[in-house]
Amino acid sequence: MPADGVVAIAWPQLALAAGFILITAALSLALGLGLAKDISVAAARTYLQLLALGLVLRWVFATRIWWIVVVLLGLMTVVATRIVLKRAPDAPPGLFGSSFLSMAVTSVTVTFAVTALIIRVPVWYEPRYVIPIAGMVLGNSMTGIALAIERLFSDLDSRAEEILALTALGANRWELAGASVRTALRAGLIPTINSMAAAGIVFIPGMMTGQILAGADPLDATKYQIVVMLMVSAATAVGSIMAVMLTYRRRFSADGVFLDKGLREGAS
Amino acid sequence: MVLGAPLLSATGIVASRRADGRDARILDGAAIALNAGDVVELRGPSGAGKTTLLLVLARLLPGASALLALEGESAATIPPDVWRTRVALLPQRTVLSDGSVGSNLRLPFALKVRAGEPVPTDENLRIALEDVGLADISLERDTRHLSVGQLARVALLRVLLAAPRILLLDEPDASLDDASASAVAAMTARFAADGGAVLRVSHLRTDAAATASYRLADGHLREVSAGAS
Repeated sequence: MPADGVVAIAWPQLALAAGFILITAALSLALGLGLAKDISVAAARTYLQLLALGLVLRWVFATRIWWIVVVLLGLMTVVATRIVLKRAPDAPPGLFGSSFLSMAVTSVTVTFAVTALIIRVPVWYEPRYVIPIAGMVLGNSMTGIALAIERLFSDLDSRAEEILALTALGANRWELAGASVRTALRAGLIPTINSMAAAGIVFIPGMMTGQILAGADPLDATKYQIVVMLMVSAATAVGSIMAVMLTYRRRFSADGVFLDKGLREGAS
Repeated sequence: MVLGAPLLSATGIVASRRADGRDARILDGAAIALNAGDVVELRGPSGAGKTTLLLVLARLLPGASALLALEGESAATIPPDVWRTRVALLPQRTVLSDGSVGSNLRLPFALKVRAGEPVPTDENLRIALEDVGLADISLERDTRHLSVGQLARVALLRVLLAAPRILLLDEPDASLDDASASAVAAMTARFAADGGAVLRVSHLRTDAAATASYRLADGHLREVSAGAS
């Protein structure tokens, strides 16, 4: 085994990995879990999606054209935004624009801050660095933003009676939503804070694992991981705050009245 | 302020609410006027739109329309949050915010709409609590440890301390025992005697201090003799 390289997995060995999934599917059948079909489909998707990704990345890394990198970042953000909105079924309609903006602004800023200022990549769009880091930042901040938005609108709904009483006392939209905004931001940020605190003790972060498997010096991998974790936390925090501040007003009428479930039905 | 104008006047009140998948117009051109000193009872079958009427008067129902005026001044010239500080609605389900009795009583004065108004001192608040028979409740008491009757009176006191001109009460005594209910009636009677006006949805009891009684049915308001249903 070369000291500074990756041991490549051969195609037959890759197919062999499916054998373990066959065992899992067989167990599901034997125990009547009803998951055999789901397991098979999910495994097939893992093969197809990741192989497709590998081919696309190989091509993008080889061509090194700046606008392809930008288009790819845009597509990744669109998909992440759709996932965020899908996880918040109680959120008002029309949030795509503000959610997309929050994710795009924070992820792009953080990604290029890492590549340009910390890693100091010579070419600003170097896809080998930009794409994976953007992927990690987006994937993690997506979870935080989704939690924050979901919690914001569910907490507002649970406070509908209190909000009516406060509106009747003359409170404005910010004064009405403030408590829910704070609850939502806490919900969005806690997982990130926990993962920072547990990193290295409870688990070896995925990126570091990857670099170590790829033959990197563990200390070098650690430095990358620290940078990425802190940047992901920053992106999650700023992204959640932006998303929540840009969206909470949508649950209020122009006169500052909270649109509770009854009023929403009436308006549709 | 226009001399001779009622404290609150509302005409052409139209409001719909959605029920069973279709819009039903439950207020259809209703009108009402309240003068200083009035304690007006509002009666009518359930679902007739009594709560809806109060929401419209407090400008808390998006989509409703009405010609509203406060002391002759049209609602169009008064921002909604300022309007709500003068035409105060106390919703039927009494909800205080988490925290102490004191912080809840002071909450209206922390709002931007009342910036610059003097905030009641602890001494003011203790006297106010004593006045309404709640001397045994400390300002530090957590609102979660109040009984239903205490909660209702603290919520009403919070509205009264903020000094509105009109008080809109939605079945203020629905879940109260007789003692708490008469305490609430005494508080509202005093508010009216001091130059305010009260409109209260009544269901169970008749307010002895009532000066007029309206019945809401089929989208319209009709005055009936005080106390009759």
